[in-house]
This record gives sequence, structure tokens and C-alpha cells, in this order.
Amino acid sequence: MLEIRELTRRFGENTAVDHVSFEVPSGLMTGFVGGNGAGKTTTMRMVMGVLGIDEGEVLWQGRPITRLDRRSFGYMPEERGLYPKQPILDQLVYIAQLKGMEGGAARTAVTELLERFGLGERTKDHLEKLSLGNQQRVQIIASVLPQPQALILDEPFSGLDPAAVDSMVDLLREYTRDDVPVLFSSHQLDLVERLCDRLVVLSQGRRVAAGSVTELRDAGVPRFRLVLGGDAGWVRDLRGLEVLDLDGTTALVEVREAGAEQQLITEATGRGDVHEFVRVRPALSEIYREATA
Amino acid sequence: MSTDKTADKTADNTAGTTAGRTGDRTGGEPAWLLVTRREIVSRITDKSFVLGTAFMVVLIAGFIGFSIWQDEKTTDVTLGATPDSVAMATAIKDGAPDVDDKVEVTVTELADRDAAEAALRDDEVDAWLHPTDDGWQLTTESSEQDALTTVTRAVVQQTVLADNAAQVGTTVEALQAGSTVTTEFLRGDAERANVAEAVGFVFVFLFYFAALVFGMQLASSVIEEKQSRIVEIIAAAIPLRHLLAGKVLGNTALAVIQLLVYLAVGLVGLSFTSYSSYVPALSGPAAWFVAFFLAGFVALACLWAVAGSLASRTEDLQSTSTPLTMLMLVMFFGGLSLDGRAQVIASYVPPVSAVVMPKRILAGGVEWWEPLLALGLLAVFAGLTVMVGERLYRRALLQTGGRVSLKQAWATAE
Repeated sequence: MLEIRELTRRFGENTAVDHVSFEVPSGLMTGFVGGNGAGKTTTMRMVMGVLGIDEGEVLWQGRPITRLDRRSFGYMPEERGLYPKQPILDQLVYIAQLKGMEGGAARTAVTELLERFGLGERTKDHLEKLSLGNQQRVQIIASVLPQPQALILDEPFSGLDPAAVDSMVDLLREYTRDDVPVLFSSHQLDLVERLCDRLVVLSQGRRVAAGSVTELRDAGVPRFRLVLGGDAGWVRDLRGLEVLDLDGTTALVEVREAGAEQQLITEATGRGDVHEFVRVRPALSEIYREATA
Repeated sequence: MSTDKTADKTADNTAGTTAGRTGDRTGGEPAWLLVTRREIVSRITDKSFVLGTAFMVVLIAGFIGFSIWQDEKTTDVTLGATPDSVAMATAIKDGAPDVDDKVEVTVTELADRDAAEAALRDDEVDAWLHPTDDGWQLTTESSEQDALTTVTRAVVQQTVLADNAAQVGTTVEALQAGSTVTTEFLRGDAERANVAEAVGFVFVFLFYFAALVFGMQLASSVIEEKQSRIVEIIAAAIPLRHLLAGKVLGNTALAVIQLLVYLAVGLVGLSFTSYSSYVPALSGPAAWFVAFFLAGFVALACLWAVAGSLASRTEDLQSTSTPLTMLMLVMFFGGLSLDGRAQVIASYVPPVSAVVMPKRILAGGVEWWEPLLALGLLAVFAGLTVMVGERLYRRALLQTGGRVSLKQAWATAE
């Protein structure tokens, strides 16, 4: 497990990351969301040791992280790029070697990954000769070399077409199955919702929400939707509830006093048919908007 | 530093983890060596580098070949002579080899002035020799025949002087007795001084050229890594110190190898010319030059890397490297123009000493300890720039968003 504790980084007067704490549990995908300038990239760079830490610490398996631990992490920087004018096989082998692999093993591992991503025929091509999507694939390979103990990916899905997103997701799932913790940032909330086991929301350098997706969606004031056989106008008269929306036979209410929803359903069944009574959980995008507002 | 929990997943990099020192070693090799190798391999497989080097070699070989050809070619001139000048023309023909062994004179007899002018216009003769009231005249069509004029002057003077001397009952030797002025150098000789001057220019130029080309190359490869952010991946894997060391070593090795190739081609070429006797004498100074080049280049290379790390785009390099290009110019012109006491002082002042001391060694008269002292000072200076450069490079390299000033880079937290 990777633990981030009270991480803080200032640039002059500006506090880019302000006492942020969260965990990236092993075998789970943790999504890292927040607007531009929220501090996601700065946090990730501190975790990777690329940027100095002003306050706080990063723990790996319960002890302060070392350079050697970090070297075994897979990292994809935000604005990515490798050497444009070098053959892709050569530069991937070079990176694998820098991360501690032996030359022959590196070559085998890189060739295998290139083939898997459909680039087996292009090992000698210069990076700049590849399409943007393929360049992105090479970048992904660079970040998962060698077998990573953890993955820190800054916007790994940006610029990928749906097929590439799927193969990337499959790959990431393989690592989480092997108990590797994965932290990735993204602007695409639907993707985050679909992929993530856990979520950390940053806003202006502060952590504003963290937890599993279900936890977050359950965390707010409970809301219920009621669909009746007849007019639902009477709902307005009940105490302890706030009506958010009322449209003929349908009402959307928020519970202000505990138990008020029980009263609501008793009343409703007394008055006639109840077609639907259901808890409404806000979409992730809604939570995100509220959290970062 | 236990990674046991995930030992199964790190089977491939156990070599690195068991190496003991934290992360400085990679799969059995030090990280700086990997970087050095990449720098060299990616460069020598680069077409423009190979072509550039080949072009320089051809240029040097061509220049030497041209000098040899210049050296050996003889000038054939045809001298027209009317009946009144045949005797003198023949004397010139016979006397020519003594004056200039590269000039061969053929005499063509012509009837009179008109025939001579016609022959000149038709290029049958290169010049027409004829007596005037107070001497002799060489008439050519439009341009002067320098070689012929020199020969003619000498022979005519000699012949006329001998005649005149005979008329007054003496000899030229008697008249000239005691009038010779000879020159003598306390150190070396005139030709050696000229050779030293020329080779000194070559040394200064080679240093300037290599330091600028390889320095610029080093700086732009630093920007390439910074701009593409691959440096973040590298920084997460190895200490940046190793990245800098590898880049500096790689480029230094390339620059020295290229320099050795140029020097070898130059010295071998020189051995085919009439200056071949100087080759053994030049080898010593050339070896010193390589040593000074090595120390001087390392000192500058770190600064070039800093210039690269301060920029965030290739376009910024122009401005971040200006102080360095100025320094290069100072070294170039200083190396060429300094002499006397200023030259002696400059030969100890790094980094200018890297070009001035080899020049002094070439000129001769340098005590054995002088180059050693200068080299030692240069090495100390190189050590300093490496230390300062490393700090600046590390701090500026990971700063994004626009140019970084030296002050910012020095003061900033990592």
C-alpha cells in the first residue's frame, strides 16, 4: 500500500498542495480527480521523488519510501514524450536498464510488450514516425517497465481512442490482479467511475473527498424518488423533507430529519398506489462538482 | 531496504536492488555508464554527425593535398627575345633554377618589336624582354608574371653587376664583401616559428569549433529530455547526477575521438609535405593539446548542460547560452591574439589556458613544470564547474514553465 501523509508543496507564495493525505491500496485502482491546477500533478511528482517535498511524507509498505522503491514504480509524466529520434526498441530497453533490468532481459520484456500492443513490426522505427496513438502506447510500455510494484500515471487516458483505452484498462487490471496499487489522474469522470475502486478529489491543493465510489455516493444527504399512482403534490406538506423536484406523480426529496423517509412511505401507501420508491445516489460528476465548488 | 514482499515481481531487477548502494547501479552497470553509452551510440548512428566528421576529414586531407600540389608544381614560362635580348634571355633561362627552382624558362626568338607584340597577343610567349635606355624591360600582355619578374630581376642584376664590376676591374664578390646580413634566433628558427604560428591557429580553431559544436549539441540534448519530460522518468529511476555525468562523459569522449581523428589526419598528411620533418616535433605539443582539450572541454561541458537545463524550449537556448558563446569567442580571439606577458598570464588562467598554453608549448621555451601547473589549475577549475554545474542542472532541470534564471536555479528548493 502506498500512503500519502500530509504532503505539502509551496511555490513561493502559492501552496500548490496543502496537507494532502490519502491511500492507494494494493490491488485497487485509485482515481485522482480535480480541476486544472488542483495539485494532482504536483502530488504525483512528489510521490515519484521528482519534486522535493516541503512537508509530509510518502510511505510504501508502511515505511518511508526510498529511491530504490521509486525506481520499481511505473511512472507516466503528464506531458509525455520519449526521445523522438531514437528507435522505440532501443529507448525502451534503455529505460528498462536505467530501472535496473539487465540488457538481455530488458530486450525480451520490451519486445514482448511491443508485440502485445501491436508494435512488433515497428521496433526499429523512430518514435516520431509513429501515429500519436502508437506513441502513447510506447509511453505506456515505458511506464510499466520492468514489472512495476506500483503505478503512478498522470492522465494516462488522454489522447487515446476507445480501443486503446480498453487495452490500457485491460493492462492495468492485470497489474491490480497482481496486487499492484494503481494511482491515475483523469479529467474523464465517466471513465474514472467505470474503472476506479477508489477516488480522491483535490481542489485548490486540498483533498476535498476520498473513498470508494459507493462510499462517496452514499456520503451525501439521502435522496429518494417517489412515483405514485396519483398526484404527488401533498409531499410538500410533510415535515423533515425537502422537495427538490415535483412533476405530477413524481417527486424527488431530500431527507432533512432522520426517519422522515419512513413517514413518507407510510403516508404514500395510505393514499394509494406507489409505483416506485427508490434511493437516488448522485452521479460522480455531481459529487465532484459539489466537492470542488 | 527490503523489497522481499514483492520479490517475485522484481526478479528482473534484483541485480539492482542487491547492489547495496541506493539506486546508483542498474542491471550490473553504473547508471552513468548506461547514459554515456546512449549518448555515444545515438550520436555516432546519427547521419549528420557521421557526415559532418567525414566532411571535415576530407577538408583537412584536401587542404594538405592542395598544399603539396602547390608545393611541387613548377611554373613554365615562355620568354620572348628579340635579337638584342637573346643573350640576356638565355642567361635568365640558365640562371632561373638558382633563383627559384619552381620556375622553368623557355626562350623563343622573335624578329622584332611587332613580332613580339603579336606573339604576346596570341599567347605564344608570356613576356618579352628588351633593353631600354637605362636597363631592361619585361613586357607582358596585361597581367604581371610574378615568378618570371622575380627571376629576371635577380639574373639581370647579377649579370649587369658582374659586367659593371669587370669594367672597373673588380668582381661582384669584392664589391659585396662584408655586406651580408644574416639572422639568428636564440630560440628555434624562423621556419619553426611560422609552423608553430600556423599549428597554433589550428589548435585554437579546433578547440573553439569542437567546444561550440559539442557544447551546443549537449545543451540541446538536455533540452530534448527536459522538454519531452523523459527526464522525469529518468529522474525517478536514477540520480540526476548520473544523468549529467553520463551526458558530459559521452560528449567529451565523442569530442576527443573526433579531435584525435582530425589531428591524426593532419599529422599524417603533414608527413607527406615538405614540412614532414616537423611531425615528430609537433607530436609532443599535440599530445599536450589533447590533454588541455580534455580538461577544458569537461569544464565547459557542465556549463553547457546548465545552459540547456535553464531553457524549457529549444528556442530559449539562444539566450541561455549567450554567456557561454561569448566565453568561447573570448577564448578564440584571446588564444589567437595574445602574446608576450599577456600570453604568459593567460596560459595559466582557466579556461583560456586550455588554448593559450598549448600555443606556448608549440612556440617552445616553456619550462617543464609550466604546462603541468596550467593543466592542474584547469583541472581544479573543471572540478569547480562540475560541482556548481551539477547543482544548477539538478535544480533547473525539473522546473517547468519558461526560462529559469541562474539565480532561481541556484536558490530554489529541489
